[in-house]
Amino acid sequence: MTTLFHRLRHLLRRSRHDADLREEIEAHRALRQDAFERDGLSREDAAHASRRALGSVALAADDARDVWAMRAVESVWQDLRIALRGLRKSPGFAVVAIATLALGIGANTALFSIFSGLILRPLPVRDPGSLALLLNGTWSYPIWQEIRAREPELFDGAFAWSAQRFDLSSRGQTEPVDGAYVSGQLFDVLGVTAIRGRMITPSDDGGAATDGPVAVISSRLWRQRFAGAGDVVGRRITVQRVPFTIVGVMPPGFFGPDVGRMTDVMLPFSAEPLIRRQESRLASKSSAWLQIMVRQRPGRGLEQTNAALRAAQPQIIEGATWSRAREPLTLAPAATGNSSLRSRFETPLFAMVVAVGLVLLVACANIASLFLARALARRRELSVRLALGASRSRIARLLLIESLIVAALGAAIGLAFAKWSGALLVQQLSTWQTTVSLDLALDWRVLAFTAALACLSAIIAGVAPVLGLKSVAPGDAIKDAGRGIAGDRRFAVRSALVVAQVAVSLVLVVGAGLFLRTFASLNQLPLGFVPGPLLVAELNLQASGGPPEERGARVERLRAAAAAVPGVRSATVAAERILNGGGWSSGLVGIGDAQPSLRRPALWLNATTPGWFETMGTPLRIGRDFQDGDRLGSVPVVIVNDTFVRRFLPGEPPIGQHVRIGRDTATRYEIVGVVGDAVYATPRDGMVATMYFPVAQQQPKTFWPTVLLTINAAPGQRAAVERDVMRVLTEADPTVAFTFGTFDQLVEATVTQERLIAMLSAFFGGLALLLAGVGLYGVVAHAVRARQTEIGLRMALGAAPSNIVRLVFQRVGVLIAAGLALGLGGSLWAVRFVETLLFQQEPRDPMMLAGAAAVLVAAGVLAAWMPAWRAARLDPATVLREG
Amino acid sequence: MGLTNTPSDLLPGTLELLILKSLVSGAKHGYGIVEHLRLASDEVLRVGESALYPALQRLLLNGWVKAEWGASENNRRARYYTLTAAGRKQLAAERAEFDRMVGAIQQVLTT
Repeated sequence: MTTLFHRLRHLLRRSRHDADLREEIEAHRALRQDAFERDGLSREDAAHASRRALGSVALAADDARDVWAMRAVESVWQDLRIALRGLRKSPGFAVVAIATLALGIGANTALFSIFSGLILRPLPVRDPGSLALLLNGTWSYPIWQEIRAREPELFDGAFAWSAQRFDLSSRGQTEPVDGAYVSGQLFDVLGVTAIRGRMITPSDDGGAATDGPVAVISSRLWRQRFAGAGDVVGRRITVQRVPFTIVGVMPPGFFGPDVGRMTDVMLPFSAEPLIRRQESRLASKSSAWLQIMVRQRPGRGLEQTNAALRAAQPQIIEGATWSRAREPLTLAPAATGNSSLRSRFETPLFAMVVAVGLVLLVACANIASLFLARALARRRELSVRLALGASRSRIARLLLIESLIVAALGAAIGLAFAKWSGALLVQQLSTWQTTVSLDLALDWRVLAFTAALACLSAIIAGVAPVLGLKSVAPGDAIKDAGRGIAGDRRFAVRSALVVAQVAVSLVLVVGAGLFLRTFASLNQLPLGFVPGPLLVAELNLQASGGPPEERGARVERLRAAAAAVPGVRSATVAAERILNGGGWSSGLVGIGDAQPSLRRPALWLNATTPGWFETMGTPLRIGRDFQDGDRLGSVPVVIVNDTFVRRFLPGEPPIGQHVRIGRDTATRYEIVGVVGDAVYATPRDGMVATMYFPVAQQQPKTFWPTVLLTINAAPGQRAAVERDVMRVLTEADPTVAFTFGTFDQLVEATVTQERLIAMLSAFFGGLALLLAGVGLYGVVAHAVRARQTEIGLRMALGAAPSNIVRLVFQRVGVLIAAGLALGLGGSLWAVRFVETLLFQQEPRDPMMLAGAAAVLVAAGVLAAWMPAWRAARLDPATVLREG
Repeated sequence: MGLTNTPSDLLPGTLELLILKSLVSGAKHGYGIVEHLRLASDEVLRVGESALYPALQRLLLNGWVKAEWGASENNRRARYYTLTAAGRKQLAAERAEFDRMVGAIQQVLTT
């Protein structure tokens, strides 16, 4: 132990130590000289004799020094210096290699950090391993109360929360942030403590807390909205137009139990009735809106906990109306938290991680090829080193250290690139109404991944030159200088690399083609309306605090105000925001006198004001639109679309038919019109059967808390219209909260994921193609250069330039053909993993594969053309003279 | 003159043992150690520098001696080696081991 310590200290203070040693030996010699002089020798002879007696000072010092040295470390250090010097001598090579790797490793790290943040990283809370989530989905507040009552005997703690989108504005346009209602135990169970003030506690659940309505905010919100003010505790914050007192700030890094969201504002459940008032869901046994997480008791397995929970299930779910509540209650490990994004993005993310990994492989192959070319160009130097006694393994180590330096530098730059590009990618996932926020901290997982990538790249890039080195013998390089002829085995390694590159690139190009076409087909889907001129404003009517009964009149007032703005062609209202992936539907449909019966898929529902179809650009086929006369008390009427007619009333005249839906069997709706089809939840579903009610016939007690104001504005005036409409809306109803957007944004939001995948895969495919092209160019150019004697000879013997070009292309053709064959096999095998991500694509479409192959062949021909052309223009006389 | 008695002529570890022993009587520099060994052995043991300095470095490495710069008798700068406590202990141990070894060799030679 002390020895090692001494050695290390020696390593650090080596130069001082060496000087000491030299001086000491010189002193020794001087003392001996003194002795010789005392014995009667002349000064000069004494000096001479003492030197002779001592032998070589350098050798003695070396021997003495060797006692200390950790041989391996010293020689590696030496290799490092040689390698760095070598790289500095060819800056062009170094820059290209490092930049390629930085891009490759950076892109990999970026995707992996997203993958890790979303799927692998445990919640940043105390002992995340013992957390468990109640599957599957959301539960009612009474169920939560039942579970909480059983917490002492079943769990080591339990909490519930409900993710919400909160509006922080006090008037007019909304300022949405992600928030949540949470039960008082949440912070205690997770072991999260406030950095300012206090967190929400069980005493807040009662609603009668001494501070009044309380809220805790994230450190991000504290920094951004309150500029990190020291007196933030006690300040006011308006949430959904209700004032709250901030009682604490959550620690940085804590984002709540939902991964992918940054929960900026947390309110106790007792705040929900203040915001939703009469429509509070706290007492409702039928609405499922919160999630439940528990901490398992130490020493008790999940099986046991589940069994205990199920034993109490009948009491827990008492009164719940949904069928899900009757399935056995199941807790699942939730160390990584809860995330709705996970199931959505797991497959595409994985596909992209693989794709970007393949790009890195192609890049590594290029760098390996570069290194190999460099090693061969340095044959002379290397064989001299061998001749001077360097061992073969030492040379191999030198080459590996070079590639390791390149990889390490590439990885360091790549990390910075990853930090930036990862954030950019996550940003792309956010849409008009959902914000995706992911903690992309470079934790040990990401760093380990990057380090592993760097090592792997170094090995892949470094092994090729080592293999290529086999052909180098001491003194050998001095004999031959670029006289290779066809069949030289030195090119075998590089050729194999090029074949691999072509194969991998083909797989990536096929993937890019499939995803691009998926995105294109989704974009070309008929919508059934014309989104171009449409502006939308989501109106939140709940914020005013007025009873639901007043909402119908308020909506009409707001609609009329918007319609009167110059530039507005029409302004109408719909109850449902379409294209958000879900909506209002009924599985029970009865036609004519028939009782409603279960239908799959369910019938989509919406409610509109008169003129909505015209505003949307959806044609009215027969019958009439809603009119002002359709109101409460008049005959209940509905409008249906073409698909509805085809599905429920085939071959019958639809007008005048009656429809009943849901459990309300008393109300019969009369069909008064038929409109063209339009998409509803998402364009992927295609045209779906839809039925529309008049907004004016909605029961006042159950009037929607939010509606969608749809405005058809003249093109070019959008900005002005938006500004004016905002103004008149606030004038007409100062309490309304609204969020503006365009219908184009709504349409775009339905293909966010596909757009991102298409963009990424196109980028990766293009990159791989470029890298493969460069690799091919390099190997052909190198082969031509090495074979120029042979080529010159052939030309001298009468070969025409076209023959030479053919010669070169034959070689390239073999490489490409081999690569394509491998790549085709790989593609056919690999598409199975991405099939679920495709839309309206035949994954093994021969045309598609042929197209991708053609792209690669074109790239290959392009890459080989330059060197081939140069070969054909060689002057045989010069070449032969030089050779 | 010349270099005699390189380490391979001695039993392994003997040179270190001799150096440690020669330091018992007080701090010495390298040349002093050589002279001490030469005189104390009636000119039989002449230790070469190429053996001495590596051995001294090994002793330093193990922490058995300390080295300090000082002035020599005729006012040259020289590096003086002193025994450490660990060195003394080592000396005792090696000495016992050496005695055992020599005894064993004697026994073999006399039978």
